[in-house]
Amino acid sequence: MNAPAEKKLFRLVGTRPIRPDGIEKVTGKAIYGPDFVAPNMLQGAILRSPHPHARIRGIDTSKAEVLPGVKAIVTGADFPELDSAMVAGGEAPANIKYMARKCMATDKVVFDGHPVAAVAATSATIAEAAIQLIEVDYEVLPHVIDIEDALRPDAPILHDDLFTQGLPELPTTPSNAAMRVEVRRGDAARALSEAAAVFSGRFTLRPVHQGYIEPHACVASWHADGQAQIWCSTQGHFTVRALTAGILGMEIADIRVVPLEIGGGFGGKTTVYLEPVAVLLSRKAGRPVRLAMKRDDVFRATGPAPGAVIDIRLGAGADGTISGAEVEFKYTGGGFPGAHEVYAGLHCTMSYYNVPDAHIVGWNVLSNIPTVHAYRAPGAPQVNFAVESAMDELARRLGIDPIDIRLRNIARPGDTGGMGMPHGAIGYAETLEAAKAHPHYSAPLGPNQARGVACGSWGNYGGPSTAAVSVAEDGSILVTEGNPDIGGSRASMAIMAAETLGIAYEKVRVVVADTSSIGYSMGTGGSRTTFATGKAVIQAAEAVIAILRERAAKQWNVAAGEVQWGGGEAVHGDRRLSLGQIAAASGTTGGPISAQAAIDPHDYLPGFGVHICDTEVDRETGQVSIVRYTALQDVGRAIHADYVEGQIQGGAVQGIGWALNEAYVYNQAGLLDNPGFLDYRMPVASDMPMIDAVMIEVPNPAHPYGVKGVGETPIVPPLAAVANAVSGAIGIRMCDLPITPDRVYGLLLAAE
Amino acid sequence: MSKLLVSTSVNGDPQQFLCDPDTTLLDALREEMGLTGSKEGCGSGDCGACTVMLDGRMVCSCLVLAPEVEGRQVTTIEGVAEGSRLHPIQRKFLEHGALQCGFCTPGFIVAAKALLDRNPDPSESEVRYWLAGNLCRCTGYDKIVRAVLDAAAELRQDRRAVA
Amino acid sequence: MPPFDSEFFGGSDRLEMAADTLFGLVGKLDELAPGFADLAHVRAAFAIDGVYTPDWSSSLKGASEVVLLPRVAGG
Repeated sequence: MNAPAEKKLFRLVGTRPIRPDGIEKVTGKAIYGPDFVAPNMLQGAILRSPHPHARIRGIDTSKAEVLPGVKAIVTGADFPELDSAMVAGGEAPANIKYMARKCMATDKVVFDGHPVAAVAATSATIAEAAIQLIEVDYEVLPHVIDIEDALRPDAPILHDDLFTQGLPELPTTPSNAAMRVEVRRGDAARALSEAAAVFSGRFTLRPVHQGYIEPHACVASWHADGQAQIWCSTQGHFTVRALTAGILGMEIADIRVVPLEIGGGFGGKTTVYLEPVAVLLSRKAGRPVRLAMKRDDVFRATGPAPGAVIDIRLGAGADGTISGAEVEFKYTGGGFPGAHEVYAGLHCTMSYYNVPDAHIVGWNVLSNIPTVHAYRAPGAPQVNFAVESAMDELARRLGIDPIDIRLRNIARPGDTGGMGMPHGAIGYAETLEAAKAHPHYSAPLGPNQARGVACGSWGNYGGPSTAAVSVAEDGSILVTEGNPDIGGSRASMAIMAAETLGIAYEKVRVVVADTSSIGYSMGTGGSRTTFATGKAVIQAAEAVIAILRERAAKQWNVAAGEVQWGGGEAVHGDRRLSLGQIAAASGTTGGPISAQAAIDPHDYLPGFGVHICDTEVDRETGQVSIVRYTALQDVGRAIHADYVEGQIQGGAVQGIGWALNEAYVYNQAGLLDNPGFLDYRMPVASDMPMIDAVMIEVPNPAHPYGVKGVGETPIVPPLAAVANAVSGAIGIRMCDLPITPDRVYGLLLAAE
Repeated sequence: MSKLLVSTSVNGDPQQFLCDPDTTLLDALREEMGLTGSKEGCGSGDCGACTVMLDGRMVCSCLVLAPEVEGRQVTTIEGVAEGSRLHPIQRKFLEHGALQCGFCTPGFIVAAKALLDRNPDPSESEVRYWLAGNLCRCTGYDKIVRAVLDAAAELRQDRRAVA
Repeated sequence: MPPFDSEFFGGSDRLEMAADTLFGLVGKLDELAPGFADLAHVRAAFAIDGVYTPDWSSSLKGASEVVLLPRVAGG
């Protein structure tokens, strides 16, 4: 909650006004995915596989078809045949064939909960009854869940036509290893052999779910002219449009996707599960169709984040300088290939330290769980858990303070990064220095308490965004953008537009437009929206200012170049024209005033966080409590300070949940054993202390207000911060997550 | 299965609706009465997004059968504000930025109001335990707890001013 | 050019070649490793002498090093 001296530079940037969509959301008026109703709408239901792995020999829908009230039934046979083809629709390129198979199985089911048929009926009760009447003839196949099991030579193979990508020679036998990626620089083996201290270890994590509280839901309406409309909750309605068009073989402009309010996503709503199925049902029934998931559908069939097995060897000299690193991480991929977490893992492994000699290998390993999907800094928390645990061990063995050893190795602007690119205006060292100086770091600890520290980074992103700024007849301002507001971004856009135009925040209203009402915008993800869409809003506002100066110049009969813009007014000598006055005169100076910016910025900069965590271990039960938590982050510059702190606090608590409680648990039959919030235990209010969010502002020079992007970084450090604290408290290195009471108790018992 | 006619009071107004015997109160509110402010996050009483007041008692409306509300008083998020005047808890949620996606917010506000109605001066710990049945995945609870404590302080001040 | 080297270029992580633009470069790499261009269009990003360059028509005149990166967006 620091207040940088330079904040006075801006009127509105960094303040905390009430969000424009706030009233609707505290009064229950806001319409989310499951709330939307279309006239004459049918209710859909999806039949899901009860087996983790089976061949579909046949599907008999005849009994369901004759149930009164049933209007349409869809199976995999109703989907067009698709060739493997990469489409750049989502936040990462996707193979459209696998996307389609994930939405609806054809010849095979590859996870518990895989959709095999869907029904639309006049009521939800009839739709549910109808799917029970569908008979699927399964040939049950052996299944495999865990990474190491999936790589065994005798493991059941999910896809006979899948050969490991990224090997020097294309293999001739199919494998569950979908992809191998590798980065080498220097000579890691030699560097490790010469190090004063080397830590080697194996770290494991279970898949975890994004855990958004709003289950997926949509309504689709197909029209006889071949056009369709979709109302849904998504992080990217342009993504929904592209993937639905690709899967169904439709023209992109024939699909209009209207984004409803979104009840959380964290990466998990950057794809499609229901929308193509709902469009097909609507096409068959000739009426709008709602498809909505229940909570157990969400857990069983939507993207968890990858589990992982990570082997690491990290060496350092006596002064703590990292000399070399060997890291091999294997991430679960789930039922279908295409997970890009391994690329991100490669990018993120020690990206913020200077490590000249490194050898990093990543694997994407398929098994019979849902296809993994993006979760907040996808691919970074897992490998970072191993790296920051290893750093903690090296600090302990060499007798160096945990923050000092990190400061010794931290990258600074101009240093060469892991991918061979020089670092820009990063604030890594500043954030570590602030952590060291924070009162939390030197506060005394109670009995059975210990303190853990860890860093983490996320690359952030830019990418395509479109925004329009229009001046209403009275001089009030409308901003139209294409990014669903998942955490207060309308407020950030209004602040940036008002700051640029020099007017009051309340004069600006922000609308998130549907796919047919604004140009293409990549989804709300990658910590990109305030940076990239914000930049588009600022550029459109600047273009509006140029028009306003011209219009004022016309009224004064002077050259536009002589008119200045400041304080929301056109200024020429001692003459002034307010925005309202110029707008009122627009009918006689050239008509309506508006401008659009369509941009694709890539001058984003990464985020970096340092988290300090105090834990207390109950040695009788193994229960770990978080007693104090501080999260410091280089945010570039905060636009709306509350929502920046909120991202840091929320991300930290998700990471704490990953460290302590959360895990996908599969039983011997390969079925998910905890598909509900009672058994999939996310943090609740009474588990947590206040999370002290400290914003460090090292601005991004490529953004007019210095934005770097903040959303994803805060989930990266907590896994190791918590594990390092617990390891310190009980004197045993925590290599496996989650750190559940039974695990801690067992380790304490074994140590006695 | 024939429908049941249920007569009840919702947010102070008389309401009648038809439902199946196994319809939940949550579904009746959302589907029959168009009151979609109460959300379904789980359908099993684990997330609190559907929290409503039933005769002054806080309940998960997904765990109440709709026919059970015959002759009783239901208050939902739609009944928390007085007309267009926000309840102090609603205003404090906005002032503290205590919501991100906002999906869990109606449940939290109804639950927080239930707390402050019976305990005007809760400690941080009491707020955290009272709200432990409401899941929020966005905020990490920090700003929610602050908003509720701040609303409690303001309500105490208002009461003193009245007295 | 990790991490694409094993997949397409038999493990050689550094190649010398001349091209006018990134489009030209992708074309030449595709001749060496058929199929590369298709995947590069959706999966690869380039940095010219340390500067991330999304516009593939950018000139390579005077450039000494082009780094090939995976495109990573996030959640």
